[in-house]
Amino acid sequence: MKATAVDAVIRGLKKAGVSIVCYLPDSLFKELYPALDADPELRTIQVTNEGEGAAICGGVFLSGKRAVLIMENSGLRASVEPLARMGLGAGIPVVMLMSYRGELGENNWWAIPHGITMEPILDALRVPYQIIRDEAAIEDAITDAFSWSYAAYYHSAIALGGSIVR
Amino acid sequence: MKRYECMIKLGERLSDELVILSLGGSVDEWYNAAPHMRAGSLFQQQLGCVTGEAFGLAVGLPHRRIISLDTDGGLLFNLGILATLGNEQPANLFTVVWDNQMYQSIGGPKTHTASGRVDLAAIARASGVEKAFTATTLEEFDALCEEGLAATVPYVVVAKVDGILQPGIKRKHSDGREDKYIFVRHVEETEGVVIMGPSEHN
Repeated sequence: MKATAVDAVIRGLKKAGVSIVCYLPDSLFKELYPALDADPELRTIQVTNEGEGAAICGGVFLSGKRAVLIMENSGLRASVEPLARMGLGAGIPVVMLMSYRGELGENNWWAIPHGITMEPILDALRVPYQIIRDEAAIEDAITDAFSWSYAAYYHSAIALGGSIVR
Repeated sequence: MKRYECMIKLGERLSDELVILSLGGSVDEWYNAAPHMRAGSLFQQQLGCVTGEAFGLAVGLPHRRIISLDTDGGLLFNLGILATLGNEQPANLFTVVWDNQMYQSIGGPKTHTASGRVDLAAIARASGVEKAFTATTLEEFDALCEEGLAATVPYVVVAKVDGILQPGIKRKHSDGREDKYIFVRHVEETEGVVIMGPSEHN
C-alpha cells in the first residue's frame, strides 16, 4: 500500500470523525497499521477476530464516538453473526474498510475465496459498498460511508482494490 | 445460587452505570430485578458480542462505569475478547458472566462449562485479566461486585447460577430497535452528546 494511499485513508477517517480504529492485521494493509498506531489522534485496538472488532465498534457507536473496522475482506466471513445481529436486529452500524483480496490479479490460491465471497456476503447482509480503485477517491468514499451509515443506522463497507493495496 | 437474587444485589449497587446484556432468560430477569436500570441497559439478543460491545462502550466513555452481563454460552462464542481485555486493560469495565452451564433459552442443552473442566475465570486470568473470579454463593457474588465496581482494572465475575428462571416475572416487550433508541437517548441525555441526531432537513 502506497504512503499516499495510507495518508488518504487517515485523512478520510479524521474527516469522518473517527477516533477509534479496530483492526485485525493483514498483509495488504501492512503499511497502514503502523501509521494508525502512531497517530496521536487515533486510538487503535487490535482484535482477535473481526466479529469481535464489529462488536467493539458497535459499542463505540453507542458511546457517541466513531469507530471503523479495518480488515482484510476475509474478515467479513468471521463477522457475519455480529453484523447481522447488531445491524439487522438493533440498527447499530459498523463501517468497514477492507483490503480487496482475491479479485482479478490475485496470485495466491488461498485468497481466491476472499474475492469470490466478499460481494455475495455484503449483498446477503444488504450492506452497501464501494470498491475503490483510484487513490483520489479514498477520502470521499470514507466520509460518504459514514454519512450513509449515520443516516441509515446500518453498516456500510469500502473495499480498496488491488491497484491501491498491491 | 439464583441469578435473579444476584441481579437484585447487583442492581442495588447501580445508579448511573451503563449495562449491556446477553440473550435468554437473563433479559426478563434483569428487566424486573433492576427496573431503575431499564433505560441504562441495552438488551442485546446476541452471542459472542456482549462483552466486546461493552468494551467498545467503555472505550468511548472512559469516565463512566460500564457493566457487561454476559453468559457462559455467549463468552464461549468469542473467548478472544478476554485476550483483548487483557491487553487493553480498560479501567471502567466490570463483567459478570452468568454461568448456568446450559443454553437455557433453547431448552437447556449443556455448554462446555458443564463438563467441570472448563473454567472461564481461569481462562480470563490466563488471558491477562488478573481480577477474574468465580462466585458460588450470593455472599461471594455480592462481595466481588463491591470490589469489582470499585476496581480500576478489568474485573470479571463468573457467577455459577442454577438454571432456574425466576417464576412469575413480567416479560419485556420491546424489540432490539426500540431497546437501542431507549438506550441511546439515555446516553445522550446523561452524557450531553448527540449520537443519533436529526437529518440535515426535516
